[in-house]
Amino acid sequence: MIHFENVGMRYGMGSEVLKDISFNLKPGSLHFLTGPSGAGKTSLLKLMYLAHRPSRGKITMFREDMAGAARKDLPKFRRKIGVVFQDFRLLDHLTAVENVALPLWIAGGKGAVIEEHVEELLTWVGLKGRMKARPPTLSGGEKQRVAIARAVIKRPDLLLADEPTGNVDPAIAKRIMHLFVELNKLGTTTVIATHDMGLVEEVKADRLHLSDGILQLIKAGQSLPETTSFDPAEFETTSLDQNEYGPLGYDGEDDQ
Amino acid sequence: MTKAIHFLPDEETHEATRLLPYVMAVMVYLSALALMGSMMLNKGFGDMTESLSNRLTIQITTADAEMRNAQVDEVTALLRKTPGIDYVRKLNDVEIEKLLEPWLGKGNVTDDLPVPAILDVTVSRDLTLNLDAVRGMLAQVSDNIHLDDHQQWLGRFLRLMDMVEYTALGILLLVVLATICIVIFGTKAGMAENREIIAVMHHLGAQDSMIARAYQSRFMKYGLKGGIIGLVLAFITLVSLIYLSRDLAEGLVRIPELPVVEIAVLLVIPFLAALISMLTARYTVLQGLGRMV
Repeated sequence: MIHFENVGMRYGMGSEVLKDISFNLKPGSLHFLTGPSGAGKTSLLKLMYLAHRPSRGKITMFREDMAGAARKDLPKFRRKIGVVFQDFRLLDHLTAVENVALPLWIAGGKGAVIEEHVEELLTWVGLKGRMKARPPTLSGGEKQRVAIARAVIKRPDLLLADEPTGNVDPAIAKRIMHLFVELNKLGTTTVIATHDMGLVEEVKADRLHLSDGILQLIKAGQSLPETTSFDPAEFETTSLDQNEYGPLGYDGEDDQ
Repeated sequence: MTKAIHFLPDEETHEATRLLPYVMAVMVYLSALALMGSMMLNKGFGDMTESLSNRLTIQITTADAEMRNAQVDEVTALLRKTPGIDYVRKLNDVEIEKLLEPWLGKGNVTDDLPVPAILDVTVSRDLTLNLDAVRGMLAQVSDNIHLDDHQQWLGRFLRLMDMVEYTALGILLLVVLATICIVIFGTKAGMAENREIIAVMHHLGAQDSMIARAYQSRFMKYGLKGGIIGLVLAFITLVSLIYLSRDLAEGLVRIPELPVVEIAVLLVIPFLAALISMLTARYTVLQGLGRMV
């Protein structure tokens, strides 16, 4: 699904924020992306959601070379990706329903079908009574749920989430994680950037750990090794269904 | 949910381009005035040159009234026999007095004023008249007989007409260029204001053409709205000017008529303004987006 090979990235003429990143994410896998603030998590996600081009190296996604892809071809790949931004990035003048409907509308969906899908999903994330509300009138948690609904409404092939549970209470966080895990079970490759180690421990998925722009793979259940060196040849990930930890230890119970 | 999602905020909240329709209105107002003025003058000049193109004026300035009348009769008889001349008529005292009134004032043309006799001659359109021969013939009657074929005056008039038309065209071109620049600035300002929205739309998979469509449709509305306001104001101005100038310039200058059919063509101006705005906005947006990732 995603293959990075010796990828480096810098902003303008600055120093590299990502250095020699190499990894391979199999289709249907779920990974957490962890690391201290400023380690380059958001930059790595930007490369994955095609908002930035690498300064060097090779990125292959959906079996296509992304580093050299023509600009006009990017929209069709972006439509396969769902992104939950850390700052939500909702359109303030649109209602919650319209915000969530945007990806379907962009892809050419029809009005009635869009409405049905969107309302069903917003109800599921607990926003039934807030469908016509606009983002400035929503709480942080509500905005986050709208942003998540917008990212998953199209059942994307790849879901990227930047701190998706950062602004919600534990019950909602658990519910959101359940949504991600269910989507992942349906085949969506998922990468979740988070600081919430409790969540990481609970879901038991592999971790991509970034520190000073350098990436390490940490298998589920393992802790961060003392040395930062790693062998890229071993750096291939597995899907949750195939990994050694078996079924997820997450019951998806509704705690609301 | 509406069929289409308007991902750009409403015009009213759009600080960068809120005033654009009114700027467009000014531009259309100026260009419509330039065009209408040019059309009116063209029509007026055209009527005037047409009315003079087959006419000759003969002035007999002999001071002695008796002799002058005799020369009038003689010249009239000669001209009527000349091939190529259709009609000869002596202007009566009332007509001459009317011609002098704008300069001398009403009632100031007195009997003791040495007023020349004037013959109005209509030349055939089918035959060519040898004006030198006619001049020679008149000179044999008296040195006080002057023939004016209006060519010198008409030549200057036509040059003036050309100049007015080129000036109007120049003004129009400048206004169109200024309009295009304003739309480019407005579009760029609008894009800068909605930078975040455009980025989100890109991340969600929107193509450049989809974003460009939203802008071009918005700027088309601005152009149309500004165009209609500007054209209506231009019509009001023109009609007011004609009305006022008729009172002021009565007798001195002939105010051209409003060429209704030609002026009706100006109704396309708002649509042209809309088209120019739309195409300029589309080009600007696509250029701007092309520089993004």
